[in-house]
Amino acid sequence: MFLTKKALPRRAFLRGVGTSLALPLLDSMLPAFAADGASAPPRLSFIYAGNGIVHRNWTPATSGRDFELTPNLASLGKVRDELNVITGLAHLEADTKGDGTGDHPRASAAWLTGVHAYDRTRPGVEVRLATSADQIAAGVIGRDTAVASLELSIDPPMQGACDSGDCFYVNTVSWRNETTPNLAELHPRVVFERLFGDGGSSAERLARSRVTGSILDSVLDEASRLAGTLGAGDTRKLDEYLDSVREVERRIQSAEAKGTQDIALPERPTSIPDTYEEHARIMYDLQVLAFQADVTRITSMIVARELSGLSYPNIGVSNGHHNVSHHRDDPDLIDEKTRIDTYHVELFAEFVEKLQATPDGDGSLLDHSLVLYGSGMGDGNLHRHDDLPLLTVGRLGGKIRTGQHLVYPEHTPMTNLLLTLLEQVGAHIDTLGDSTGRLSPDLLSA
Amino acid sequence: MTGTGRRNLALGFSVAAIVVAAVAVLASRDGPLSLRQAPGELTAETLGTYCMDCHNPIDFSGNLALDGDELADIGMHAETWEKVVHKLSAGSMPPLGEPRPDPAAYAGVIDYLESELDTVAAASPNPGRLPLLHRLTRTEYENAIRDLLALDNLPAEMDYELLLPADNSSSGFDNIAELLFVSPVVMERYLGAAQKVARLAVGDPSMPTMVNIHRLALELPQDEPVPGSPFGTRGGLVTESYFPLDGDYVFSVDLAGFAREPHEIEITIDGARVALGHTGGRGSGGLEFRVPVSAGPHVFGATFVHRTHALDESTVRVQRRSRGTLPAIEVVTIAGPYAPTGPGVTPSRERIFVCTPASAAEEAPCAREILATLARRAYRRPATDADVETLMAFYDAGRDGGGFDAGIQRALERLLVSPQFLYRIERVPERVAPGEAFAVTPLELASRLSFFLWSSLPDERLLALAESGALVEDAVLAAEIERMLTDPRAESLVDNFAAQWLFLRDVEGKDPDLFIFRDYDESLREAFVTETELFVGSVLREQRSVLDLIRADYTFVNERLAEHYGIPYVEGSRFRRVTLPESSPRGGLLGQGSILTVTSYPTRTSPVLRGKYVLDNLLASPPPPPPPDVPTLATDEADVERATMTLRESMARHRENPECASCHAQMDPIGFAFENFDAVGRWRETDGGLPIDVVSTLPDGMVVDGIEGVKRLLLDDPERFVGAVTEKLLMYALGRNIQYYDRPAIRAIVREAAADNYTFAALVRGIVLSVPFRMRMAPEAGATDSEV
Repeated sequence: MFLTKKALPRRAFLRGVGTSLALPLLDSMLPAFAADGASAPPRLSFIYAGNGIVHRNWTPATSGRDFELTPNLASLGKVRDELNVITGLAHLEADTKGDGTGDHPRASAAWLTGVHAYDRTRPGVEVRLATSADQIAAGVIGRDTAVASLELSIDPPMQGACDSGDCFYVNTVSWRNETTPNLAELHPRVVFERLFGDGGSSAERLARSRVTGSILDSVLDEASRLAGTLGAGDTRKLDEYLDSVREVERRIQSAEAKGTQDIALPERPTSIPDTYEEHARIMYDLQVLAFQADVTRITSMIVARELSGLSYPNIGVSNGHHNVSHHRDDPDLIDEKTRIDTYHVELFAEFVEKLQATPDGDGSLLDHSLVLYGSGMGDGNLHRHDDLPLLTVGRLGGKIRTGQHLVYPEHTPMTNLLLTLLEQVGAHIDTLGDSTGRLSPDLLSA
Repeated sequence: MTGTGRRNLALGFSVAAIVVAAVAVLASRDGPLSLRQAPGELTAETLGTYCMDCHNPIDFSGNLALDGDELADIGMHAETWEKVVHKLSAGSMPPLGEPRPDPAAYAGVIDYLESELDTVAAASPNPGRLPLLHRLTRTEYENAIRDLLALDNLPAEMDYELLLPADNSSSGFDNIAELLFVSPVVMERYLGAAQKVARLAVGDPSMPTMVNIHRLALELPQDEPVPGSPFGTRGGLVTESYFPLDGDYVFSVDLAGFAREPHEIEITIDGARVALGHTGGRGSGGLEFRVPVSAGPHVFGATFVHRTHALDESTVRVQRRSRGTLPAIEVVTIAGPYAPTGPGVTPSRERIFVCTPASAAEEAPCAREILATLARRAYRRPATDADVETLMAFYDAGRDGGGFDAGIQRALERLLVSPQFLYRIERVPERVAPGEAFAVTPLELASRLSFFLWSSLPDERLLALAESGALVEDAVLAAEIERMLTDPRAESLVDNFAAQWLFLRDVEGKDPDLFIFRDYDESLREAFVTETELFVGSVLREQRSVLDLIRADYTFVNERLAEHYGIPYVEGSRFRRVTLPESSPRGGLLGQGSILTVTSYPTRTSPVLRGKYVLDNLLASPPPPPPPDVPTLATDEADVERATMTLRESMARHRENPECASCHAQMDPIGFAFENFDAVGRWRETDGGLPIDVVSTLPDGMVVDGIEGVKRLLLDDPERFVGAVTEKLLMYALGRNIQYYDRPAIRAIVREAAADNYTFAALVRGIVLSVPFRMRMAPEAGATDSEV
C-alpha cells in the first residue's frame, strides 16, 4: 500500500523546523482498519530499558490481581487493567562463560534470543547469535506489510570498545538471523521516510517502485553471476546482500499489490529533538502511526541501552545512567536510579495510553497489540541476569489475560515467555534459545 | 640448572625434560646449535623458576600451563606463547609480590620467544582470514562518491548521517569486514541514497525541492566573527553547501530569542553579499530572502552585520550564547530550487559527461563511454562489456522517458547499488590449495591500498599500475605510498583512522555537567577535536616520529582553547601552532582536552577509564573484563569519587582482592597520574580542596609520577608504544581484529621502522609490505566459513 500525503501549505514546509512536533495529525488519520471491517491483525512491540532496576521500587509486594503499583509503575494506573507485571524470569545465558563480552552486552543480546553472546575478538569466534523473537514474529505477521518490522532507539549508539564486546550487542536487541543484527534507528525522519516514503503522488510512487523493482532484478542477476566467480572462501556477505535484495523486492511487490490509500500524514520530522523526552514521544508516536496505518506490525525500541551514558538533568539526574545503576545500596544513587526507571515507565505509559485511545477495527490498537517492556538485567548494581523486570500491556486480540502480577519460579527462562507470545501470533516453534517450555496457563485467556 | 630444578621437581615434572625437548627442536634448525642453545635453556630455566609454580598443569592459573609440550614446539603453540610474550612485554607477570628474574634474564626470555615465533612465522606465513566481500563503510561510501562524481558537501537534507546508517564501531574501528552487515533496511537505504546521489550529480531538472536546515549549536557564541565570514560581521554561520540546480533558493533565518535593538543580517554567496535584511524591535522575527544561485558547490553565509553604535558589544563578556544582549541566529534554512532553469555547469557534470552527443546517433556510443568510465572507477578494475551492457539497459529505459541525461542518471543509480561498488571483492583462485597463503591480485592490492590510505577508491594512476602489474614490486609500492601520503585524501588517516583510534568521535557525545563545568560549550568541544586532529596531522605530514604523539613540545590552539589551557597571548578563533614551555603539561596527546574529556564522566574524572584508555589505546594491552559477579568499574570509581581522601584506601582494597588486583594494579596508577586534569581537561592542583596525589607504583616496581611519569612509561620502551600504534593501524588497514599470528608481522614492522625514527610513513610502509596486507589464505578443506 502506498500512503500519500495531502498537500500542506508551503509555508509550513519551509518552516519545517518542528522538532517538538508530536505528530499532531495523529487523530485525523484514517485508521487502516475501519470499525466494521475485517478483524484487525495482531501487533507486537518490544521496549528495552537496560541497566536493570531497583527491585524494591519495581516489584509489587503481592501476586495475583490485587497487587499494588510500585513507585516505578505508578504511572501505569490508567492501563492497569491491560497490564501484567511478570516476575521471576531470567536470562542465565547472559551470564559469563569465562569469555570476554561483558555482562551488559550479553544482557541486551540475550533479551529476545536467549543466546549467549560470545567474545568475537578471539581467533575462530565469529558473530553468531540467533534470530530474535521480534524477527520470528515478523516472519509470520510481518509478511503482508510494507515494512516487516521497525527497529528504533532513543539512546545514542555506543562506539569504540563496548565493555570488551561488540557494540551491536548493546546497540540493538533485534537480530535478523544468527549473523545479522538489525540497526536501531534514532532519527525520526529516517523512520518516517521508511514508513511513508518521501512524498510524491501515488502515480509517482508507483513509477518509482517500478524503477526500484527493475534495479533489484538486475542486481540480483549480477550478484548471482558474481557468486560463481569468487572461488572457495567466506561468501556469507554475498548471501546477506542477496537475501536483503530479495526481501526489499518482496516488500515492494506486496505494497504494489495492496494499492494506494490517500491519507493525511503529519509533516515529516526534520531532526533528532533536543530533549530525550521529545525524542521518546516522537519515536513512540511513530510506532502508533505505523500500527494505525498498518505499515508494520512489529516494532522494537531501546529507550535505555546497556551501559548508557545518558544523564537526565530534567529529573535531577546529572550523572550517567550506567554509573547511577551501580548504586552499591547508596540511598542517593538508589533514588536517582529509581527516578530514571520511573521516568522511562511514565513515557512508556503515554505510549500505551495512545495505543488505547487509537481506534482499530472493532476496538483500540491496544486491544490488538501486545507490548513487552523490560530489561535483560535484573539487579543492575550486581549485574544479575535473573529476576528480570518485565511488563506486558495489551490483550493481543483477547488472547492475553491481563491485570495480574504473575510470579514464576526463580530462574524460569524469559524465553518461555517469548515462546508463549510467539505462539499466540502463529509462530509455532518448539524452542527459543534456552527455553524449557511455555509460560502458561496464567498469562493466556482460557 | 640443578639449583632451579628443585622447585619444579616438587611439582612432579622436570625442567630437564623441557630443555631436552627444546634443544631437540633447535637442533633440527639451521644454524650453529651452540649459539642457539643457550637462550633456549635459559628460557626454560627462567620459566621453570618464576612461572611454573602457578602455570603448571595442576594449578593451571589463568588457563595456562607452560609445560614440556608447549615449550618443545613453540610454533605449534604460537597462540600461547604470543600471549606470554605480550604479558611479559607489559611487565605484568609475575604478579605483584612474587619474585622476578633479573632484568637481563627477563629480557632474554622475551627475546628468545620472539625470535622463535618469528622464525616459525617466516617459514609458514599466516595472513589470517577475511570475508571475500568487504562492504564500504559510510565514510568510504561518502569519499567514493566524492572521488567518483566530484560531489562533495552535499546539501544538509542529504547529509550522509541521514542517507546511510552508521556502521558498527566495534573493537575501536568501524571498518571491520565481518561486522559490516547488509540487511533489508540497509539495502533500502542504499537504494534511496543511489537515487538521491544520481539525481544530484546529473542535475535532474525535475528533482523535488530540498529543505536544508542548518541549526547552530545551542552554546555557540555569536558575538564574534565566525571563521570564514566577511569582515565586519559577527555570529551566524559560513559553510559550504551544494545547490542542486540553477534556480532560486529561499534563505530563512530564524533568531534565537527576541531582538530589542535593530539588527542587520546579510546573506553571502562565495563571500559576496547577495541580500541584506533588517530585524529587531517589537513584532520582528526571522527574515526570508529569495536569491538566485547557480548550480554546484558554494560557500554561503548568514551573519549579522556588526553594529558599531549604541551598545559596545566587545565589552560584553559572553561565554555562552547571549540571549537578550546580542541576538543569535538559531537556524538557517535553505529551500530550493524554485523556478529551476537548468542543471548548470557543475564539477559533477564535468566529471560524468566525458563526451557530449552532437546528434541522436552519437548518443548511444557516448553513453557507453560515460558508463564504461564510471564503471572502471566505481568497480576499481577495467570495465567489461557485461558491466556496460547491464548499465546500458538502464540508460535506455531512462533515455526513453526523459532524454540523454535522464538515461545516464538512471544507469548511475543502478551502478551505485551494484555489489561491485558497495563491496571490495577479492577472490580465491582455483589453483590455490586449501589452507595455502597466496598474494592478492594487483587490482585487489590497489583497492586495499587506497581504502587504507584514503578511505576511498584508487585513482587512475593506481589503477593503471595495478593493471600493468607493476604495483606488486616493493619499490613501486613504496613510491605509491609516498605519493598517496602527500595527497589531500590521506587526511582520512587523521579524521577516519586517528579519530577512531583515539575515540575523538566520542567527544561529541560527551556532556560534562554544565553546573560543574560552567565554561564548557560547543566551541570548546569543537576546539578539542580540532586540536587533536591538527596535532596528529602534523606528526603525519612533517615526517615526525610517532613518539612525538606523546612527547611533542607543541600543540594547536585558538583563543578559546588557549584560555582553557592557560596559554597567554592567543587571540581569535583561528588555530595556530604554539611551542610550549618545558613546564607545560600540555605537549602530546595525554594533555589534550579531547582525550581527557572522553575518559571522564559527566561530573568527575575517572582514573580507571583513563588508565584503561592508556593500556588499551596506547599500549594495546587491554585489561581483561572484570570477573563475574564483581561490580565493575563504576562501583569502584564511585567510591573514589565520594571520598577523595580514600583514593589510596580504595587502591589498597583492590590489591586485597587478587581478582581485581591483577588488572587494577596496572590501570589505577596510570589513571591517578592524570588527576591534575579535571573532567574537561583543565589543570588543577587540588580536588574538592584536597591535595592531589599523582604518584603510584606499577606491578613491576616502576613509579608513575604524574603525567610526566605516564609519558616516561610510554617512551622508555618505545617498541611497546610503537607496537601498539602499529597494531591499531594494521587492524584498520586490514579491517579485522588482530590475532596472535599477526604479532610476528607487527614486530617486524616496528623493528624496520626504528631505523626511520618510527615515522608514521615508515609504519604505513611496513604494513603495506607485510604478509597480512599483501596476502590472503584459502580456507582449509572442510572449513565451515562458507556455510550459513
